[in-house]
Amino acid sequence: MNCEEYRESIAADPSFDGGAGHLTGCAECQAYRSEMQALDEQIKRALVLEVPDLVVPELPEIVTAKSDNVVALRRRQVAPRVWFAMAATIVVAALIGIRIVGTDLQYDSLGEEILAHLDHEPFSLRVTDIAVTDAQLNAVVPRDVARLDHSAGLITYAQSCPIRGHDVPHLVIQGEYGPITILLMPEEAVSGPETIHGENINGVILPVGNGSIAIIGESEERLDRIQERVLESVTWST
Amino acid sequence: MQNSENSAKRRQRFDQYVAVYHQDMYRYAAWLCRDKAIAEDVVQEAMLRAWKSLDALREETSAKQWLLTIVRRENARYFERKRLETVDIDNLTASQAALLAEQPDDELDSMRAAIFELEDDYREPLVLQVLMGYSTQEIATQMGLKQGAVLTRLHRARLQLKEMMARL
Repeated sequence: MNCEEYRESIAADPSFDGGAGHLTGCAECQAYRSEMQALDEQIKRALVLEVPDLVVPELPEIVTAKSDNVVALRRRQVAPRVWFAMAATIVVAALIGIRIVGTDLQYDSLGEEILAHLDHEPFSLRVTDIAVTDAQLNAVVPRDVARLDHSAGLITYAQSCPIRGHDVPHLVIQGEYGPITILLMPEEAVSGPETIHGENINGVILPVGNGSIAIIGESEERLDRIQERVLESVTWST
Repeated sequence: MQNSENSAKRRQRFDQYVAVYHQDMYRYAAWLCRDKAIAEDVVQEAMLRAWKSLDALREETSAKQWLLTIVRRENARYFERKRLETVDIDNLTASQAALLAEQPDDELDSMRAAIFELEDDYREPLVLQVLMGYSTQEIATQMGLKQGAVLTRLHRARLQLKEMMARL
């Protein structure tokens, strides 16, 4: 590490403890480090503003029917009496055979199948800062399928999931407005970007090479920023 | 009965988070928007949103990051709504000026003014690192940046502050 590299590291983080070998032999860098640490003390003091008394706003009543905290973002709360109507509808749909063929559910579009899949894995949408392990990630995204670096964001969920008859990597990263689902579908071609509409969600399926990538977040999430990072971080191997 | 117990537990959990992280939420908001009154509004809105989506938070250890993320987006939402212009340090409102003149300490006031003048892109990672104790990787995640970009911004922020303080 030379003086310039060392000083850049110290200016980015004065607690940086690398480059010890360089530091022992360079009096100027030692002085620079002390100067930056003193500056940081000043910065810290200045940032500590006086905080006004805590005033908690009036909080609306929240229905807490469930004792666990699993987020089921896309499911509507359904009143029990509605179940009868729903059951009748399902029976009629089954009889006329619109969407059920044998035991395989048929979906009108890829987006619809993706939404249905997300409804079955609400536990993937957790707010957390605990990343999956590299081993887990490598198992879900094998190198012969895609190469993935960490620039997409903190990956907090990784599973192989069936979409259109293929097992595809289902990943979740943490966005600004909540967890963001990413489905890597190297064998699912789309002719152009397709938006996914759902309750409180905002999604897109992007064509990438001979396949596609679906990105689904909260309705307020700025997906354009996420898209850029995801596209940069994924490379198909085939 | 079960419902009221759950509600009470939920409220207790919320009160604990707010008690522990209220100061961080306010200071983060204040340095993002550089205005005492707006920071208070942003924190109020953030608390309300946190209350509504509390069930989305599963790991207690993520509470601080979760709350600061809510503050960040409430601040962005506030500025989108109001379409406020960049703050000019020579033409501050009383509420903005109040942020800079809390204590009779010249050196502290000068540093506060210098931080106040930093571009948003430089000031925010500095606040997250120095005040909130975030690592550069955590800042990158919070701000949706690559770690290299965070390091560059922090480096530039400190050099600018050093220069500004030297000029005084």
